Amino acid sequence: MISSLQENLEATFKGVKVTAPEDGRMSVSVPSDSIPVVLRYLKGNGLDHMALLSCVDWIEDGKFELVYFLTCYMPNNTDYAADQKLHVLVRTQVPRDNPGIESVIGVFENIEPYEREIHELYGVHFKGHPRLTHLLLERDYEVPPFRKDFDTRQYVEETFGSIPPVDE
Amino acid sequence: MEVIGRASDTADAGSERELELYFGPQHLGMVGNFSITLKVEGDRIIKATANPGYLHRGFEKLMEYRTWIQNFPLVCRVNVIEPDSMEWVYARAVEKLAGIEAPERAQYIRSIYLEMARIASHLFGLWAYSNMLGFDTPAQWAMYHRDLLLDRFEELTGGRVYHIYIWPGGVRRDFPDGFADRLVKTLHSIGGCVPDYDATFFNNRLFYERAHGVGKLTQQQAKTLGATGQTLRATGMKYDIRKVEPYAAYDKIPWEVPTREEGDAYSRVWVIRDEMIESVHMIFKLLDAMPEGEVYNSVPNPFKWRIPPGETYVRCESSRGELGLYMVSDGGDKPYKVHFRTPSYPHGLTILEKLLEGASIADVGNTMISLYVVAPEIDR
Repeated sequence: MISSLQENLEATFKGVKVTAPEDGRMSVSVPSDSIPVVLRYLKGNGLDHMALLSCVDWIEDGKFELVYFLTCYMPNNTDYAADQKLHVLVRTQVPRDNPGIESVIGVFENIEPYEREIHELYGVHFKGHPRLTHLLLERDYEVPPFRKDFDTRQYVEETFGSIPPVDE
Repeated sequence: MEVIGRASDTADAGSERELELYFGPQHLGMVGNFSITLKVEGDRIIKATANPGYLHRGFEKLMEYRTWIQNFPLVCRVNVIEPDSMEWVYARAVEKLAGIEAPERAQYIRSIYLEMARIASHLFGLWAYSNMLGFDTPAQWAMYHRDLLLDRFEELTGGRVYHIYIWPGGVRRDFPDGFADRLVKTLHSIGGCVPDYDATFFNNRLFYERAHGVGKLTQQQAKTLGATGQTLRATGMKYDIRKVEPYAAYDKIPWEVPTREEGDAYSRVWVIRDEMIESVHMIFKLLDAMPEGEVYNSVPNPFKWRIPPGETYVRCESSRGELGLYMVSDGGDKPYKVHFRTPSYPHGLTILEKLLEGASIADVGNTMISLYVVAPEIDR
């Protein structure tokens, strides 16, 4: 499945780069505007489980990397196949200033809270998401708290007074 | 479940017939620090909004400030009830990034340890569920039996609740003398009570009538909403990471994945029961097949340990479903990014909201506990 998927992906979509770093893993780099179509294509090819959406803050490059984790449920209820071992990491980069990307709720319904969380903790805007309200936090922060330039220790010091010295 | 009319479909929409009701975090039917805002009309729920965040400690961010080994105390607090699979995913992710492997005996010990944790966690879940339905007796039994297992954990690791036993490169120490015999004895005394549990709880007509048809999911819905674990297996799919992508020593012994067909609260709790019994059998088989040898391949000095740049995604079957960990290293002595994929996240947010639409208020706790939601897993 991996080799055929790899060829088909690169032939179908422009700007898509596929690598297979280890057995059963596939990494697909996609330009940010084609995320919905690529995910829809992969879902149609059996990768029907959106396990996780994660975000990495590459502050030195000025980019956020969004990573979508896709795996396969079992198509029938009897046997296990090599397909279920397959993980596909679909990744894309968005700029750190004013980051935004199309929401994929239309493709994977269960991604709704993940997108909400990334919006809250990293400030990435998901266009078309029906409720980008707070999920885990209570209020807005000047710098979204999971970004690399949000210093937890400094925040604690400013909010709760001094923090005990480490070296004693 | 029958389809009921929604208030918004009637001419009275927006009238005083609709009420907003805060369910939790201080509520008897609520497990842990979690709340749901319900919009109700009489006894019927029109819309449910899950409201997590009471336990958000920002672990994933805090872990970026601590070295690879210092993170263990944080890792096991992600899921208070079953910290052991958390240890496994974290240790395995570090091993994969650093390119080390655990010895074979350690793989068996890890599997035995993870199955002990699964039984302890299921017993805790059984306590919560039967207690919530008003079955006090089996609830107390479950707590007692869990305590027997905690004694074994204490003997093996020194801790009752948090163990920090699985370590990159293996496990912290080998079984103490006579541990295997005492573990077998404990499991026999738990397994010997299965007929009592069945008689008082699982085969009880009251349990059937209270749980049958409640919070029902079809297999298609479960797939669309990202279900894993019992929630998915109760709809008939044998999806279990221990079989799909075997880790530790799960491919070394024969075992079965229990499933049910109906997809409701009743079948989810039955899957949990069958899984506990299967886990006990698995531990017996693993103990028999366990080889002699080392349990630990030493790792570099933890204070100076730098792990080469890279990324990995590791997953395992925790007692609640697919538990994953995405970890990125930039070559430093601390993780660059850590992200847990916890099973309660889709169960407690997406699926719970869906299942509660149209349900009755009395079924909120029933649905939520049968989905096996643990609040700290959602918040992290």
